[in-house]
Amino acid sequence: MNQFVLVDCTTVDGALSQLKDGSVVKAAGVDLLDRMKNGTTTPSRLVNIRNISALRGIHPSPEGVTIGALTTLTEISEHPLLQSHYTILTDACGTVATPHIRNMATLGGNLLQELQCWYFRSEEYECLRKGKEICFAFSGLNQYHAIMDYGTCPSVAPSTSAVALLGLNASVELTSAKRGKRMVAIKDLYVHPDANPTKFTVLEPDELLTAVMIPQPAKGTRSAYQKYGEKQSNDWAIADAGVVLEMDGNVCRKAAIVMGSASPVVRHAPEAEAMLAGKPITEEIARAAGKAAMQGAPLQTAMQGAQPLSMNAYKVQMFPIAIYRTILLAAGQMGRDPSAAS
Amino acid sequence: MSGPKLPHDSSDLPQDSGVAQTAENKLGKGTTGITRRGFLKGAGVTAAGTALLEGARAFGREAAATRGEHPEGVREFGPGPVAVTLQVNGKERVIHIEPRTTLADALRLEMAMTGTKVVCDRGACSACTLLMDDIPINSCMTLAIDAVGHQVTTIEGLTESSEGHSMQAAFLKHDAMQCGFCTPGMVMTCSALLKKNPKPTEDDVRLATAGNLCRCGTYPRIFAATLEAAGVSDSESTHNA
Amino acid sequence: MATTKIPSSTGVSPDAAQDMAGDGMKTVMMPVGVPGYTLRQEPRTMPATQPPVLPINADLKFIGKSPERWDGPAKVSGRARYTADIQLPGMLYAKFVDATVPHAKVISVDTSEAEKVAGVKGVFVIENLLGSAKLLNPSLEVSKYPIVRYAGQPIAAVAATNPQIAEDAAKLVKVKYDVMPFVVDMDQARRADAPMVFPGPANQAGTAGGGGGAADVPQTGNIHGPSVHTRGDIEQGFKDADVVVEEHYTTQVQVHNALESHGVVADWKPDLLTVWASTQGTASVREGLAGFFNLPKSQVRVITEFMGGGFGAKFGPGNPGVVAAALSKQTNAPVRLMLDRKEEQLSVGNRPSSDQTLRIGAKKDGTLTAIHLVSYGTAGCGTGAGCAGPATNMYKYASLRTEESDIFTNAGPATAFRAPGHPQGAFALEQTIDELANRLGMDPLDLRDKIDENSARRVEREIVRNSAIWKSRHATPNVDHGHIKRGVGVGQAVWYRNISMDSAAEVRVHQDGSVEVLSAVQDIGGGLKTVMAQILSEQFGVPPQQVSVKIGDTNYPVGPNSGGSVTTASLTPAVRDAAWNAAQNFLASIAPALGAQPDDLVLANGEVSSKSGKFQPISFRSAAAKMNTSEVSAQARRIPDYDRKAYETYGGVDVAEVEVDMEIGLIRVKRILAVHDCGRPMNPKQTMNQINGGVIQGMSYALYENRLIDSDYGLMVNANLDRYQIAGSREIPQIEVQLIQSYIGQSSTDASGIGEPGGIIGTPAAIANAFYNATGVRIRSLPMTPAVVLAALANTSQQKETA
Repeated sequence: MNQFVLVDCTTVDGALSQLKDGSVVKAAGVDLLDRMKNGTTTPSRLVNIRNISALRGIHPSPEGVTIGALTTLTEISEHPLLQSHYTILTDACGTVATPHIRNMATLGGNLLQELQCWYFRSEEYECLRKGKEICFAFSGLNQYHAIMDYGTCPSVAPSTSAVALLGLNASVELTSAKRGKRMVAIKDLYVHPDANPTKFTVLEPDELLTAVMIPQPAKGTRSAYQKYGEKQSNDWAIADAGVVLEMDGNVCRKAAIVMGSASPVVRHAPEAEAMLAGKPITEEIARAAGKAAMQGAPLQTAMQGAQPLSMNAYKVQMFPIAIYRTILLAAGQMGRDPSAAS
Repeated sequence: MSGPKLPHDSSDLPQDSGVAQTAENKLGKGTTGITRRGFLKGAGVTAAGTALLEGARAFGREAAATRGEHPEGVREFGPGPVAVTLQVNGKERVIHIEPRTTLADALRLEMAMTGTKVVCDRGACSACTLLMDDIPINSCMTLAIDAVGHQVTTIEGLTESSEGHSMQAAFLKHDAMQCGFCTPGMVMTCSALLKKNPKPTEDDVRLATAGNLCRCGTYPRIFAATLEAAGVSDSESTHNA
Repeated sequence: MATTKIPSSTGVSPDAAQDMAGDGMKTVMMPVGVPGYTLRQEPRTMPATQPPVLPINADLKFIGKSPERWDGPAKVSGRARYTADIQLPGMLYAKFVDATVPHAKVISVDTSEAEKVAGVKGVFVIENLLGSAKLLNPSLEVSKYPIVRYAGQPIAAVAATNPQIAEDAAKLVKVKYDVMPFVVDMDQARRADAPMVFPGPANQAGTAGGGGGAADVPQTGNIHGPSVHTRGDIEQGFKDADVVVEEHYTTQVQVHNALESHGVVADWKPDLLTVWASTQGTASVREGLAGFFNLPKSQVRVITEFMGGGFGAKFGPGNPGVVAAALSKQTNAPVRLMLDRKEEQLSVGNRPSSDQTLRIGAKKDGTLTAIHLVSYGTAGCGTGAGCAGPATNMYKYASLRTEESDIFTNAGPATAFRAPGHPQGAFALEQTIDELANRLGMDPLDLRDKIDENSARRVEREIVRNSAIWKSRHATPNVDHGHIKRGVGVGQAVWYRNISMDSAAEVRVHQDGSVEVLSAVQDIGGGLKTVMAQILSEQFGVPPQQVSVKIGDTNYPVGPNSGGSVTTASLTPAVRDAAWNAAQNFLASIAPALGAQPDDLVLANGEVSSKSGKFQPISFRSAAAKMNTSEVSAQARRIPDYDRKAYETYGGVDVAEVEVDMEIGLIRVKRILAVHDCGRPMNPKQTMNQINGGVIQGMSYALYENRLIDSDYGLMVNANLDRYQIAGSREIPQIEVQLIQSYIGQSSTDASGIGEPGGIIGTPAAIANAFYNATGVRIRSLPMTPAVVLAALANTSQQKETA
């Protein structure tokens, strides 16, 4: 890890005043230190926001819940109110990495972590997302890469919490010294590589992600998240599904179905959502929804439906199953899947 | 390639990139149908990092802890060594470290507390587990300077405590170790579990140790030892103990 | 017996006294076989100086019992000092500069910028590389520096006053490469037009742990081989067959990933080089360093008090050892050089891949008539990918032909890895035997009873046959409906009774009543220190905690390198002989003060007593106070096995129960029954712990682990513990170990090793057979990830096999 100046801040204003000269923000540092140790990033000045106590905490209100950016994933996943009202979020945060990482990692850091593609994480590969010309994954080792809507870079969306927050229609609060606060919906937070390969989020260099706001779920809402990897201890998602169902008895009024490890940017499966709306949840319809998700229209590129790479056709088989089982889990018709990581 | 048409065909890239990439891979061409002329950092030129360490080195330089112009609540450290005061196992320790020093390295190199092990150095194996304010964390992914103001408990400290003793006795009884390199981290993790959940099930132990790698494969014994320390009746996994 | 002369009257057990052979030999009866099944007494002839025959474990107080791990308290408290923990005054920290390209000639290494960094005390550029295969004709390649044959190959090293400076400075070393064409994919490397990893024939020497390859074999392009072995006439064998099964199997490269990385602390002084090493062989490190630096062995001391796992990869000084020693010599300071995880993944060994075509012929009654194995594998720029061990040695009635070839690739050289060649060989062999049983309509255990001559495995299969897990097996495959299917399968292991004669120990008794045992041997995690303490306890009648075990230091009598599962089998007889001799010397030393004859004295229960009742029992400590010198001792060396021909191989039987999620493609191993033998189990709890470990490492290999190298760039993409997948706590099945006692009458302890036979060989095959039993589909390639499982299930219609 290279040398750096650490600017330790205990207030938001103090931190905002230091976001200059190429400074890089460090919260817990789980993602940042990994990249620094790998040599893929070598910042000379870190702004340490870890000790800003104002950015910690879970604050319910009539409008929903506000979660400070420095709240740890463990604090979220073990929070009783979140567990009952925002199960998809506690499920998702509870499956990230390892218990120890979840004890350290913050919600803001999880949302803003950089790509987990192994080419991107290797010092040796100067890839598209590092501002160079080529993506190495297309004809390289791409068994864990994207199957949908990837365009120029098939790295998958790395943040697990983003899957849940997209399903919950959450927003992040971005704060800058000059422009004050602005709210950005999770769906607008991430920048697709085709739009800008080196800018991963809309966060500007002078901004901090200070909080996450989740609206109050509609009455009858049930939700769940499940992730599938090669193993259950400490693995990344190969296929995952976040499901939010607004139920009226056994009938689904409205559904949100979200996939994380399918595409570079976390995405809804509108075709699957449409299939559930207004219908009772059954295994048959859940399975159909899972399949429909793989036919999905492009959201960010011109790629229609799942288009697997040379080594990841199996993901196209796994996703519909992950989705159908998680729909039934959310609907209370199936237990937590022993094949899933949670 | 059997996959989709690439959004940009990389064979259109300039063939002479200016980087001395002489490792032309004929087989790559033959099998994939495209030339992957990506830029490998430094390939063919030099192994040296490109933009590292410009300017004067700061080793030995005592960095000013605070520089005047910063607003309240902002303090600047480094890049050279700074004095840091840590609370380790209930004792105050003052060390001089660069801000980039991890807590694991600070303990091992500056305080000669080598019970904490570094294995993967990326938070993927938890051999470096210690407790910060009673919560198990990876000390390899934590800057030592971030431990300021927190109570750090290492395996050396836990050994002095009664909960450490009972967990260690259970590890001995069930022979929950082989080479022993993961053992301090396992003991820390399992002991922290019991503090949070005094009567865990075997599944709880598995979940708590999901980040602790043991390459010798002593997990069944670790599960049994932790349940034993918790006073929970033996699980199936103790049958071969 | 170097240091003692034992009166013959005390040197012979009473039940054998009559049967003295003339030439200093005796013939005595020893327990042989499995208690409860085949136990009997058989005569063995041995030197008359051998101690009395040990009865079976049931009749012993300490040996064969499971006292707590002797050094456990140090391990659970973090007090245990591993090589990575050694700190010496003025110690420097070294960091390698590693090759960033897979194949190149190094034109120049510019260290000037690194040397300017404050705190840098030494720089060393490697000119003599260890580990990789070497060209037989070095003149084919003229280069000042070693040719880079894999990314991650060490090129130089920097030593500095702290690790951060060393890391910074290492990045400033400029290496100029003349990059050469490379190949990392084994199938590509086999082609005639593939880039050549070596411009001519090359060989890699094996290590004490095995590995390396046959030397006198042809080499064409990157193909080093075949090494051909035959037994009988396979053409006739296949003609005689009623059924022939032929299948193709592939396995991946597995990386050891011991938790403690490779490395040393080297302290070069004018008259003594002292090296703390994370090694499986203190002797191998001393030999390597003495040879490399042309020092007398007496001026090299190697210390390994604790080591954090090796699994076959840690023999000899390796590049870290010689470079640290050279830097220490250069800087006049101790130097620590420990690899980081990425270097550990790239440069210090792995289990080679395999590509096996296995053809087996059998009669209708199951009798094997012929086995033909053609195997390829890549050990990177090393050799040792052969995997014919199981096919050659598991079922010996058949005629046999094996053709093993190494394929050179531009990847790190393989080393021995826990049962080299055997997990991959058994994966193919045991699935093929399973398939043969299906074809013949036979139960897989019954078929093995017919074709397996090993008597211990016969008992083990009987235990399996009567087990709940086996009884729960569906007789036909693919019985379950629904998306979860359950299956049970079996795989067998074969291993060899390897003995190292470089096994010696000294036992000392002090006048204060303390007892110690010394040997250069190292405890790599199996628990040897505990076993040595138990042996002394058995001889002296004092509890293990009162015995001091001092090992892992070449200042002590020579110990074996811990490879091939030799350690317990080789060293424990020497320890027992030394302990028994020291006990006799002790009794002789105190007898005059007690007014008794030595052979009237008995050591037991922490006391010395008189058989004839001449005096009231006195405590061991007060008896020791009566010694006529301050210390008595005895040293013993291993003597050859008494009758080794009859027991050259042993092994075990592993059974797996799996659940297959047919939709997600995930295999979950639910239960494992591992039934194993290793002669006399010295400490069953520790032995079973090792079997747990072998099972888990085998399962991890079968389902998860895979070194992934981008074939267009030659760089490993998962050189970490995040993306290199190793089974963790949540993957661990319920494991039941049945450890049988299998006495073979071979030595004064009659112990064998368990590290290799125990679990890692049979488990992958058992899981594969269980998958077939669950689904009716074969998986013939590893690891069995969801990608592989879903592809196999999708190809069901193409399966040749009919159930």
